[in-house]
Amino acid sequence: MGVLKRLHDLPAWARWPLYALLGILLLTIVQSISGTERLTQVSTSREMLRWAVPIFLAGLGGLFSERAGVVNIGLEGMLILGMWFGAWGSIEYGPWWGLVIGMIGGGLGGLLHAIATVSFQVDHIISGVAINILAPAITRYLSDEIWASPTTSPRTTSVGDWDVPFLAGGTIFGWESPDVLLDIGKAEWWYVSDVANLARGLLRGTHWVAIAALVLVPVTTWIIWRTRFGLRLRIAGENPAAGEAQGINIARYKYVAVTISGALAGLGGAFISTELSGLFQGGNSAGRGFIGLAALIFGNWRPGGVLAGALLFGYVFGLDLKDLDGTASHALLLVNTIVFGAVLVWAISKRRLTDAVLAGVLGSGAFIWWLSVDSVPSWWSNILPFVLVLLVLLFFSQRLRMPAKLGEPYRKGS
Amino acid sequence: MPAVIELSGITKRFPGVVANDNVNLTVESGEIHAICGENGAGKSTLMKILYGMQRADEGTMKVDGNIVTFGSPTDAIEAGIGMVHQHFMLADQLTVLENVVLGAEPVRAGGAINFKEAKAHLSEVGADYGLTIDPDDMVETLEVGERQRVEIIKVLYRGARILILDEPTAVLVPQEVEALFDNMRELKAGGATILFIDHKLDEVLEISDSITVLRQGKTVATLKNDGVTAHDLAELMVGSELPTPETAESTVTDKVALSLRDVTVVDDDGRSLIEDINLTIHKGEILGIAGVEGNGQAELVDAIVGTATVRRGSVELLGTDITSMSVRKRREAGIGYVPEDRHHEGLMLQAPLWENAALGHQTQEPYGSRWFMNRNGARAQTELIREQFDVRTPNIDVAAHALSGGNQQKLIIGRELTSNPSLLLAAHPTRGIDVGAQAAVWDQIRSARAAGLATLLISADLDELIGLSDTIVVMLRGRMVARLSPNEVTPRDLGAYMTGAASQNSDGHSSPDSNSSTDSANEVTY
Repeated sequence: MGVLKRLHDLPAWARWPLYALLGILLLTIVQSISGTERLTQVSTSREMLRWAVPIFLAGLGGLFSERAGVVNIGLEGMLILGMWFGAWGSIEYGPWWGLVIGMIGGGLGGLLHAIATVSFQVDHIISGVAINILAPAITRYLSDEIWASPTTSPRTTSVGDWDVPFLAGGTIFGWESPDVLLDIGKAEWWYVSDVANLARGLLRGTHWVAIAALVLVPVTTWIIWRTRFGLRLRIAGENPAAGEAQGINIARYKYVAVTISGALAGLGGAFISTELSGLFQGGNSAGRGFIGLAALIFGNWRPGGVLAGALLFGYVFGLDLKDLDGTASHALLLVNTIVFGAVLVWAISKRRLTDAVLAGVLGSGAFIWWLSVDSVPSWWSNILPFVLVLLVLLFFSQRLRMPAKLGEPYRKGS
Repeated sequence: MPAVIELSGITKRFPGVVANDNVNLTVESGEIHAICGENGAGKSTLMKILYGMQRADEGTMKVDGNIVTFGSPTDAIEAGIGMVHQHFMLADQLTVLENVVLGAEPVRAGGAINFKEAKAHLSEVGADYGLTIDPDDMVETLEVGERQRVEIIKVLYRGARILILDEPTAVLVPQEVEALFDNMRELKAGGATILFIDHKLDEVLEISDSITVLRQGKTVATLKNDGVTAHDLAELMVGSELPTPETAESTVTDKVALSLRDVTVVDDDGRSLIEDINLTIHKGEILGIAGVEGNGQAELVDAIVGTATVRRGSVELLGTDITSMSVRKRREAGIGYVPEDRHHEGLMLQAPLWENAALGHQTQEPYGSRWFMNRNGARAQTELIREQFDVRTPNIDVAAHALSGGNQQKLIIGRELTSNPSLLLAAHPTRGIDVGAQAAVWDQIRSARAAGLATLLISADLDELIGLSDTIVVMLRGRMVARLSPNEVTPRDLGAYMTGAASQNSDGHSSPDSNSSTDSANEVTY
């Protein structure tokens, strides 16, 4: 426990990589027991990143909106709008414009949500659900009108990707640098090679949008906690009446925040259609807007936390994609068992009886399941992110701090 | 030198009421000026007009001799006027500094807040006026008095020289009031002018230089504070004889109505909210609970009414163990409950009065039976409550939100008392209602006591506690720290126990510390 405490006192930039290394160590240990190798393959972390980027962007969008007090369950719809507009923009004006137009499309969805919730005081959930229903319908109609096919678009172009030099064999002015991580991965050193493999999946063929998303973590932190705009945005979510008493136009900040929210979800959508699928296809969002919202809660309404949540959920989905026989997901059950074991120890040390019993039951359940079958069905990994969020809420809801006036309809002068 | 503030002929009408009727107010530079009056006398409206939150229908305002009109608080702030509201306008999860600079942030190019400059300015203001606070503390960790200081600093940070304090002492215990008054004196020494609303007359007499009394929207008098007595002021305020919360002779019987043994309630983390509470209330007895809010009073009520789980110990009503009964069973067994927040727990604001009257008694005659409501019975009973408890309403079909706070409270008290409870839990029964309704509530509680009702009374109004209770118990950090007789205790003594400045060993025979003995100005304090 003392070690954990010391970990907790480290600055964030040192703490999070350490957590990641610990997580990989856990995966390595489980792999050596269960015999699968997929948990730490290069392709696994590459898939993780592909899934995580739109989840993260949607979640970050949610952060802007919810920090300003507006629940945004319409992220999924805004992401779908981004998918369509991104594809359309990419086809008409090229890939970079595709991303910009995707953001505008999502931003329009956000603006609609702002008009409904801020100006007309519609219940935030109802407005969000309406947008989620509206967005697929609009994109279907537009597809039919413009591409004469309700479900798919022509091929789009991509802004491309980048290999990191020296670590993942990127080229510098035509010179091909060494691919260090590839060599380490091939060496098959215990644990070290696993780390190298997973890192290489992130650093080779990295989408520019993924890099931009990573940059958004410190940028968002700076905006929300260091700028005047951020402070006023937060007061809109914490105590709008107090802000109003200081002459702040709360409605304006909510509008801007929710529109930014939509634009970020839209960027996530544009990333899906132009960078991942290479075309717009209805249903390709695969619920990543919702999962972004889950990442937001998991991440305690903080940018770094949202990133961690997005990577975690992305890992589960990405693993499932390459796991046709279900053996890797099966190994995840063992990971679950160990994590529940750790929660059990924590709960006992904190004398939280209910939590301890719950963790004990869930952990032994996962363990028994792991023992009794050789593979798990794919629906399991589909629901796993949501199960994770439920578990986080179950065990750590006391530590989650949502904005105090989140979801409350706001009326000027009341 | 012209007066800092000069209001003349201010009139403000609301539909059906004249809130301010030709009010005149003159405030000299550098003085502490109190505005007194009963609830509804128009004090708040006048201050809102002065702070630009509302516009006067008639009259002129002068600041430093110049005629001004304020369209919004921003205009008032620019003229150097700042207001500290009774209900703090602070965000709990922001730091003190963030709360203070909000709306007046010094920024660097690019929109980043210059926290360094803000901090420097804040400590400068603090030094000028003798106020200290750690700018990096989260507001949620602060005590009530500290929060108030943040509010005052917030106003000063914006360059206000004229401060309006709206009932600043209402939320404070006596010791915190002293600290506030020290701060006010420092502010005055720093050159600020202070206007404050208060209806506790001893406080007014202690701190103010001049006093303006309002009654029914009119200025009654403006006095210099020399030789004025509390009694003079009270007569000016009320214009007639004063009601008091005193109870007549004791009606305590030896029949136990409620007894709590070692009752402990814990929060989700297993920390005790209340611990080992032992108390007994007899029929015909009013047991008062004193304590700064948040010291376990609410949890105590929850444990008795059944909305909190009792971790350890037992609750007995008339000899029956009700520790694990559901809330409904307890209510049916004879617990009447006047909740702390009538809008939150006491009423359905959108529902008609007769439905509200049935709340909590919906399974009992005459309101209904186990499965069905009895419409006629409920309506007849509501009419009865309306009559007996003087609930002023056009009819019993209006929605509860249409009633004034006092009438809402009378409805709640009425519905609880007419159900013939054996125990009444009354949490802040007169909070936020005017003097007339207050006296009515006191009367009703007194007569129910005479009829043998056992009452647990929680109140932040110490005079009310002392006046009504047969016994007073002080709670601090979830424990009972003192048991006192209301005949031998002053509000100041109570305050000492409430803040932990004084303590009593468990046998109950020690007295509060020395400096808190004689305080005679407490006889008339509303």
